[in-house]
Amino acid sequence: MDKVKNLKAFIISTAIVAGSLLFQFTQKPVHAAPQTEAAPQGSANSGKDPGAESYAQHCAICHGDQRQGILPGFPPLIGINSRMTDDKITQTVHAGKGRMPGFASLNDGELSALVHFLTTAEPSPQGNGAHGNAPWGVAEAGGALFQQNCAFCHGRDAMGGETGPDLTESKLVLSDKTGEKIAQVIREGRPDNRMPAFNLSSEEVGSIIAFIRAREAAAVARPGGRRGVAVADLQTGNVEAGRKYFDGPGGCGKCHSPNGDLAGVATRYEGLQLEERMLYPRGAKSTVTVTTASGQKISGTLAYLDEFTVALRDRDGIYHSWPISRVHYAVQSPVDAHAELFSKYTDDDIHNLMAYLQTLR
Amino acid sequence: MKLPKIFLIAALPLVIACAQPLSAQDLGDTQLVHPSPDSWPSYHGDYSGRRHIHLTQINPQNVGNLTLAWAFQTNQPAQIKSSPLLVDGVLYFTVPDNVWAVDARSGHMIWHYNRPSKGEHIGHRGVAMYKGWLFFATPDAHLISLDAKDGKVRWDKLIADASRGYWSTMAPLVVKNHVIAGVGGDLDNLPGYLRSFDPETGATQWQWDVTPPAGTPNAATGGMTWMTGTYDPDLNLLYWGTGNPTPVLNGNPRPGENLYTCSIVALNPDDGKLAWGFSVSPHDTHDWDAVETPVLVDGKFQGQQRKMLVQTSRNGYFFVLDRTNGKSLLTIPYGPVNWSLGVDKQGHPIPDPAKEPAPDGRLVAPDEGGLTNYRAPSFDPKTGLFIVDAHPSYSIYFAKPADGAYGWAGADYGLWGKGVIEAIDYQTGKIRWSHEVGADGSGAGVMTTDSGLTFTGDGYGNVLALETSSGKTLWHAGTGPPMQSSPISYELDGRQYIVTSSGGVLFSWTLPERGKAAATRASTTPQ
Repeated sequence: MDKVKNLKAFIISTAIVAGSLLFQFTQKPVHAAPQTEAAPQGSANSGKDPGAESYAQHCAICHGDQRQGILPGFPPLIGINSRMTDDKITQTVHAGKGRMPGFASLNDGELSALVHFLTTAEPSPQGNGAHGNAPWGVAEAGGALFQQNCAFCHGRDAMGGETGPDLTESKLVLSDKTGEKIAQVIREGRPDNRMPAFNLSSEEVGSIIAFIRAREAAAVARPGGRRGVAVADLQTGNVEAGRKYFDGPGGCGKCHSPNGDLAGVATRYEGLQLEERMLYPRGAKSTVTVTTASGQKISGTLAYLDEFTVALRDRDGIYHSWPISRVHYAVQSPVDAHAELFSKYTDDDIHNLMAYLQTLR
Repeated sequence: MKLPKIFLIAALPLVIACAQPLSAQDLGDTQLVHPSPDSWPSYHGDYSGRRHIHLTQINPQNVGNLTLAWAFQTNQPAQIKSSPLLVDGVLYFTVPDNVWAVDARSGHMIWHYNRPSKGEHIGHRGVAMYKGWLFFATPDAHLISLDAKDGKVRWDKLIADASRGYWSTMAPLVVKNHVIAGVGGDLDNLPGYLRSFDPETGATQWQWDVTPPAGTPNAATGGMTWMTGTYDPDLNLLYWGTGNPTPVLNGNPRPGENLYTCSIVALNPDDGKLAWGFSVSPHDTHDWDAVETPVLVDGKFQGQQRKMLVQTSRNGYFFVLDRTNGKSLLTIPYGPVNWSLGVDKQGHPIPDPAKEPAPDGRLVAPDEGGLTNYRAPSFDPKTGLFIVDAHPSYSIYFAKPADGAYGWAGADYGLWGKGVIEAIDYQTGKIRWSHEVGADGSGAGVMTTDSGLTFTGDGYGNVLALETSSGKTLWHAGTGPPMQSSPISYELDGRQYIVTSSGGVLFSWTLPERGKAAATRASTTPQ
């Protein structure tokens, strides 16, 4: 008896452990790339769950063994119940959608088993009450995605790495309470800063944001040991020397004025952001005047220029382009003066100039 | 029984495949050492890394007629950064987790291998081949051998432990019966190494460690071996570039030169023993991996016939070494460089301590991406020009005690850069011509041909054919996102093809087949 009891207890506890393991395992593929070594869904369900079998037979080839999807063509189906009603899923499976074929031949029993499998076999990450609104499981899954897609530039802990800034101190991250702006940057990239766009599902983006939030919290929790560039780090210059450089060898006064365009600049930008803009204001506009074969002159903001095509936006915001072989054009690009200074600056010049600009409040 | 015609047609290629000798299954040593014009059997096309081809069908006079032969859509978001292999009419190329086999004549897919993985997905350079087997390194640092016929996995070995922070992006190099593969991993303090695998069994044959073991006092870790090297069969020496030391931006815990990080090394491919090493960036604190192609050049140097090794390094210096012994012949910048105090007697740049990352920032040229990066340069023997996609650039580097001594250990920010294709006279380092390719740089590699053409790309997404002697543009085509790979070329059925990439699409260019194809089509197509 005792032995049987123990065995029963063992089986139950094993089942619980296996269940929680299964949960942990199955959570990962929600957001992470599918794991070749992990086949919990299939192994847990095949032979038992007709819905899982139906999935494996009809759906897995496009939506992945783990329902992780094969992006960009085939969406993940994990958490599908948070995006579609059961009826809608049934209808989609039956009739197809876009390039997805319909599976009209499935009988009602199989169809309902499949829908049941799709909507219940695994909790959607958001719906996991045990972990609260921002469950660590989601952040962890986001972490796996972050390591694959983001860590090379932003660092493994999101605190900066090769070319990419510290996200835990990013103004955009800190000010974006809903995550909409972060999601937009992930999806659209930042072409002017060489950040590529990422084609990820809403769940995947959400998990990455959860990971960044977790890293932000961890970073805040270590005051004094903060990495990256703080405003206080950039206070080694001399104001007077900076003013002299501005008016003298820097030639800054040729285009800028402390009482004009730069008045109050230190209230608009600070720290690293101010220094980066001071050294080279990315995205500064150039103007161009194009003279066509007939002698017509058109001026506007330079919109595109390679060795074959020149384009501008005119005063009304309308885009025009010409083959370079057919026109003459002249570009005015005042920002080039910033690039010309690079080979002339000493580090002291930069620090002094920074000290001076910070007085323009 | 009457079979539908379609079945017979579908079965036909099978019959043909069975009847033909299995020439595709035997990529041997001879072909790797002396590739025929209808092949591109290793990452650089041949062991020299020159990426100079002897085909002349496409030449400066007719390149203006170049037209699209086919385009292959991978239908996935990763950019192609690999050089395809071409063996027996089949192209093999990659992005992280994916290998495609594509018919080099038509651009249609033969098979696709996909293996989702953890690990860094920053890029992928391609596969290597030996006999009928492909070798594919993965983001989680496995080396996988695939059957070139169908992409089926033959064996799967570990190059490194991805859970410690390693990854692999590189195209392995096959030398005799060695498959040589390296590792990446800058986010942790990990020792770099190069490992040789048995192509048949996948067993490790040797491993060469770049640095002393992790934990050695005052020693660097790092020196990742993430780009494909070159090989001189006559000297039986393998040449490889090594990456930057770790911690990356904080050099304090690792005083000295940090050998053999940021170095070019010569190894015996049979046992991995070091023949010589040359430090390209002693005590690097700017992430300037010295992994750019160690190009093997034979020719005169200041009047004397030499076996040389030439590298346009990420740190901004152009190096010419005697590859028999690793002695310097020339070290000279090929763009803005402000981090050194000059060059020492042995040809090593002398790092300026004042340009090490600091709490209040240091203006440094080039930027962290370097004056060039992984995209291949090319050497044109006729003109003696070494042509490289350069990236003159400036950045600010920061490091302070709070940044610690692990992994990145600092921060750096690119300020400005532009792309310039530079043609460097290898004997003097003088720049003969430069051709600007756009703000922020291009990212395309370079290939030259015997007919006097240079193929590359600009920062706007144009594929360019330049005149090698002058840098003048002779042909271009806009293909979308800027090319992030290096062009290759081959000849099949008497037609020369140039293969380039843009985003996730592979393009093949050729000269029009005058009249013939169109006429055949017109007479056989039912209306």
